[in-house]
Amino acid sequence: MEFPIAGVVINPFILALTGFFVGVLGGFFGVGGGFLAGPLMFWVGVPINFVVGTDLAHMTGKSIVSARTHRALGHVDFRLAGLMIIGTIPGVELGAQLIERLKDVGNVEEVVGISYVVILTAIGIFTAWESFRALRVKRTDQLDVHEVVGVDSLIPRSRSFRIPPLIRLPVSGMEEVCVWAIILGGLVTGLLAGLLGVGGGFLRMPLMVYVLGIPTHVAVGTDLFEIVISAGFGTITHALKGNVDVLIALTMHTGAAIGAQIGANATRYFSGPAIRMLFSILPIIAAVLVLLKLQV
Amino acid sequence: MSGRKNLLTQSDPSFKPMLRSLALELVIYGPLVTLYFLLIFAFARDLLVSIYHEMPVVYSIVALLMIVGQGVLLEALTSWLLRKIGLRH
Repeated sequence: MEFPIAGVVINPFILALTGFFVGVLGGFFGVGGGFLAGPLMFWVGVPINFVVGTDLAHMTGKSIVSARTHRALGHVDFRLAGLMIIGTIPGVELGAQLIERLKDVGNVEEVVGISYVVILTAIGIFTAWESFRALRVKRTDQLDVHEVVGVDSLIPRSRSFRIPPLIRLPVSGMEEVCVWAIILGGLVTGLLAGLLGVGGGFLRMPLMVYVLGIPTHVAVGTDLFEIVISAGFGTITHALKGNVDVLIALTMHTGAAIGAQIGANATRYFSGPAIRMLFSILPIIAAVLVLLKLQV
Repeated sequence: MSGRKNLLTQSDPSFKPMLRSLALELVIYGPLVTLYFLLIFAFARDLLVSIYHEMPVVYSIVALLMIVGQGVLLEALTSWLLRKIGLRH
């Protein structure tokens, strides 16, 4: 089938299947999946200048489906998402500005690429190690809790940060938390996302769990809601530059809508540590993809 | 305790109905989505191409509205279908 905006001929079923696959991952792990969807889209024939913008558009639609499903399951903390967005948007902008500065200095692609690989590998190894510990604690101590965090030393530190205003987040099970800690978290992950040119779901999800102490299921749902806003914003800016083929995005989204529901519903059958254990594979895959791109 | 059981929370009794609902979802939803999609292509394709080239601001807003609209529509359609079938309350 011809997609006249991007000027390509692609089998729509392959696009829908790509969307389905990324949708399952997104719904389950609370990530946009851009790091995986991008290379897949390029591989099926979407021109490179349309990959990022079109992916953001499809990500917006897909995250709406997942976020609504998570909302029905009680996994979305709107207050937390709203506060994180306040930090994320300027953070992304700062990261993008930093990239422009780095371009003037030298070989930005390799510097960013290697930083990306280091960060992704560290997140992957840490999450795998922590979730393995948590699963072992759960098994040996027979803890009757759904949510066990293997490494919780960062959580009290973030909660000891008590500059007013403080806010109550009942959905996340937090009695009092400093608003600035959440905004700062959003700013840091936004900065990294802008610097690395990604949506940042795989950065925010571990931050929410390990630093802020949000239950994994709520972190997944809340992150998806945040993706709806940030990817929607990205869709507008990329569309203005002519980098969005909405027909390709709609085609991918038909598959993604089913995949996202499957992924989001499947979280009900896995414990928090199990979700994190499976999640740890994603950053490693992304790191390998970047290494392949850099031809290291 | 086996590794698999350790990963899954419990042998949830609603697991089988969920698989059944997803299978039904694919059977009913697939043709409906294909039909909807062909309609979009038949009626909106040329219009979208022309606004993409002539009115980028309008195109960016329309693109976002279309994807958001499709997201809400498909989610609502699936939920409605599942409620009608009796697999979601």
